[in-house]
Amino acid sequence: MLEAKNLTKRYDDGLLALDNLNLEVKEGEIFCLFGANGAGKTTAINLFLNFIPPTEGTALINGIDVTKEPLKSKRYISFVSENVMLYDNFTAFQNLDYFAKLAGKRLLSKKDYRRALQKVGLEESAYTMRTKNYSKGMRQKLGIAILMIKDAPNIILDEPTAGLDPKAAAEFLDLLLEFKESGKAIFMSTHDILRAKYIADRIGFLKQGKLVMLRTQSELEGEDLSKLYLHYMHEHGEVN
Amino acid sequence: MLRDIIKKEILETITSPKFVFTFLLCTILILLSVVTGINNYKAEKQEYDAAFRLNRENLESQPSYMTLAGIGTKINKPPQVLSTIVSGIQQSVGRVATVNIAYDPNLEDSKYNSNPIFSVFGALDLSFIVKIVLSLFAILFTFDAIVGEKERGTLKLTLSNPVPRDRIILGKTIGGFISLLLPLIIPLMLGILILMISNISLSGEDWGRLGLIFLLFLFYLSVFFTLGLFVSTLTQKSSTSFLILLFIWVTFVTIIPKAAVMTASQVYPIPSVHEVTAEKDAYLQDIQTEAMEKRQSYSRENPFNVPQSDPEYQQKLDEYRENLRTYIEELQQDLTRRIDEKNAALEADYQSKKDKQRQYATNISRISPASALMFGSMRLAKTGINAHDSYLKTIKEYKREFTVWVNERMMQTINMQTGQQEGDTDLSTMPQHQFQPERLSDSISGALSDFIILIGFIIVFFVGAYVSFIRYDVR
Repeated sequence: MLEAKNLTKRYDDGLLALDNLNLEVKEGEIFCLFGANGAGKTTAINLFLNFIPPTEGTALINGIDVTKEPLKSKRYISFVSENVMLYDNFTAFQNLDYFAKLAGKRLLSKKDYRRALQKVGLEESAYTMRTKNYSKGMRQKLGIAILMIKDAPNIILDEPTAGLDPKAAAEFLDLLLEFKESGKAIFMSTHDILRAKYIADRIGFLKQGKLVMLRTQSELEGEDLSKLYLHYMHEHGEVN
Repeated sequence: MLRDIIKKEILETITSPKFVFTFLLCTILILLSVVTGINNYKAEKQEYDAAFRLNRENLESQPSYMTLAGIGTKINKPPQVLSTIVSGIQQSVGRVATVNIAYDPNLEDSKYNSNPIFSVFGALDLSFIVKIVLSLFAILFTFDAIVGEKERGTLKLTLSNPVPRDRIILGKTIGGFISLLLPLIIPLMLGILILMISNISLSGEDWGRLGLIFLLFLFYLSVFFTLGLFVSTLTQKSSTSFLILLFIWVTFVTIIPKAAVMTASQVYPIPSVHEVTAEKDAYLQDIQTEAMEKRQSYSRENPFNVPQSDPEYQQKLDEYRENLRTYIEELQQDLTRRIDEKNAALEADYQSKKDKQRQYATNISRISPASALMFGSMRLAKTGINAHDSYLKTIKEYKREFTVWVNERMMQTINMQTGQQEGDTDLSTMPQHQFQPERLSDSISGALSDFIILIGFIIVFFVGAYVSFIRYDVR
């Protein structure tokens, strides 16, 4: 489970990037966080991953305070960024092996890696190819395979469908639903309103660091999420 | 986990094009430098042996001690076997000294002097390759070690795992350094193999010196390696990191050493060698005039007025000759002593000023690791200023021995009546120039400060990189 309690971040230049964020992402739940560029989505992710310290409040992963026990908390989280960046001179196997070991999975074999790669739908011919020759979709798949190998109970995704073709995006969302069904808590920042509506259990709108709207899937039933988003932003003077 | 990071770092580097490029270039340069060094050494050795023989023949052909005293003997400096690796100042300083009774000896006829084209670019020895090329490679291997991972996004992915940051920086340091050493060690081993099969005999001490020189090379490369790592943790863009490192590299490798020498020459100016020589010559001339006057005065005051009809004529003539010989010998000894004293005083003054200037230049230039590398490796290879000075000192000492010997022989063999030498020139009693090279323990203590300086740099840069990475903003 992921929890943010009064999570606030003010940068050294005075910018209030995140203002008193309170939210929970439970096991078997997908939470999608919307917001314009600079709204504070990535700041929230960086705080969960302990890449930056909070100004106030706490970020908890499975009840562990990420600032107090950063290494322990990272055992229970997997992260996939918008542009999955890998070691370009390594093959898929080599990348998987390295990140598996960093995650503490030392006993995995090539068979396990192959299974993960098959699961994410990466073509067999790409397994031994250097990842510098990979397309964005292929990188995304390998990123998901790394996530699967780590098998952490919580997943954080930063704009995961950005730049993916519709087929790759659909495949990706199917995998997310599978993760959800297996009981993982998924926290995802995105601009992809249509797809988010398809998979999200809850969505939140972040504006100037503040969580200004939180809805469940049932509350969104019959709503046009794009209109809601634009309307909401308009009300708050963001989008005209 | 540390092992995994090290392994990944090595694998990542050796699969990169920059590694292949570095490996090929290192192999070519190192082998070229070793082969060139060996050939140069062999040629210098042949030249030395030939010059030694020629000098002997020349000495034997001298008709008298008088001509021997004037022409003198030539002392050829033997080439150092480790100049194959660190040529030091051997090429730019003289190799031959003429020792006669008149002039203060100096090593002349350097290789660069005989063919100035060599001095335009200097020698391509191993120390040069390490100083310039490999230090640049060390920077190329590390300028983006951290900042590059941040730019590529792999740092975020790595740190989203339960990996302590100190393991990452340690793993990167060890793995990266091993990767840097691979293109150095393999060609170096080949170079040593070539050295071993090239009929150049290295003593046990030489191997010890070689090992220490390689250790110094390693420390030097570690300085630039840790510096690269440090700067890569301070910057947010790899291009900025590279520019900063390039600036520091140029400052360390070329500007500081040259600026140190220039500053020292301004702070501690010394007279030129020509000025000192002119002063010595002027004194010598005064002494020669004085000697001439004294001999004339002696002849005036002690005329030989015994008529040939005197029954004791021959006995008195012999006595007169003996007295004259004794007088000239004593006079000669006195004058020689005074010349030597004056020369020694001038030389000591010049040397003291030179030492001060050199010490100052050395101390300032040691701010740069490149200077520490050069001073340390030259000291260990016996091809530096220190070895040159020691050698020159022995030649100056030898000049005194030679002068005493040749004067004695002249006095003992000269016929006062005819002014001609009686008997053949016997070289068997001629003193031989002796030079005891610096012992290994003395070389080590001389190079110790350079080792300490390099280790100091490594500690400062590594601690800097470590602390900076612990606080590094990975966003």
